[in-house]
Amino acid sequence: MASQKVLVPYNFTDHDGKALDFVIQRFANNESIEITLFNAYVPVPKIELRDSPIMEKISQNLAFLQQKIHAQEAEIRQARQKLLQNGFSKEQVHYIFRAIKKDVAQDIIDLAIDSGFDVVVLNRNPGKITRFFTRSVSNIVINNLKEIEVDVVT
Amino acid sequence: MAVKDKIDLDIFKLVFEVITKSDNVQTMSNQLTQILVGGLGIMGATIFILNPELEELEILASSGLSINYINKGPVLVDKSIKLAQNREPVIINDITTGDRLQYPEKAEAEGIRAIVSLPITQRGKIVGALRLYHSAVWNISETDIDYLQVLAQNIGIALMYFRLANALRDVKETVNDIHAVWL
Repeated sequence: MASQKVLVPYNFTDHDGKALDFVIQRFANNESIEITLFNAYVPVPKIELRDSPIMEKISQNLAFLQQKIHAQEAEIRQARQKLLQNGFSKEQVHYIFRAIKKDVAQDIIDLAIDSGFDVVVLNRNPGKITRFFTRSVSNIVINNLKEIEVDVVT
Repeated sequence: MAVKDKIDLDIFKLVFEVITKSDNVQTMSNQLTQILVGGLGIMGATIFILNPELEELEILASSGLSINYINKGPVLVDKSIKLAQNREPVIINDITTGDRLQYPEKAEAEGIRAIVSLPITQRGKIVGALRLYHSAVWNISETDIDYLQVLAQNIGIALMYFRLANALRDVKETVNDIHAVWL
């Protein structure tokens, strides 16, 4: 039985790779740790066909795109594999790959609280300009998880 | 041979439904790129935001492209597509016939054959770019370019809205944190 549950949001960037390295450094070979990698993707929009051949074609193309998004699950499995090769057992490392429910930050917060995680490991790139538009995920998570340890890898 | 339009009013309506219905920029920008890929039958689409300090384009959303290509490295403003400092639409019908790309080998390995890049502006200043990627030579029509320019302008307006909404949310959260004793 794991005594500490660790949530690691993972979005396939180099910075996420650093967070993974941090997890290995800090928790490898500790049998009481359970790691969950988490990725939330934006699903393709649902469109009304409106009896239009163009809409039908778009719908088919979007279905293909959705398949490509699902193919990204392989990338998160690779990240899991990296943990398995670096001091964790199969029973210790899980992953969640699913569509966004609210937004990335809120989904992390909800998952951390609802599933009783003890630690959340995030990464941060303070120089990024996109945070002005998307808001900083790490800031929102830190401000909303008062009872859970949040480690930010920079 | 006449160049065929890829964009029609139905596609344009879909695009604007995504812009007006989204309540956060992640959903809006990702679904916008998805609709463009699905609607135009192209390989990929990316929305970039300009980082003026680093002179780089940061990815806000991308669809259809591999993670390897997305993580290919920093996209520099003046090198990524070397034409008119990115102020005008840049059309590369066939990437094999020029030297205007920053990462030509990576584009080729990804299977990209043509790129169309449009500036996203706010109050006349460039704040980002909308780029479309096709796996075949693409002689894009004037009408499609017009549609895409209008779309890029509207993305600029939507981005300004989300930027202001985020600033307001930050102010609200800060005010909420103030204990009554200080007021």
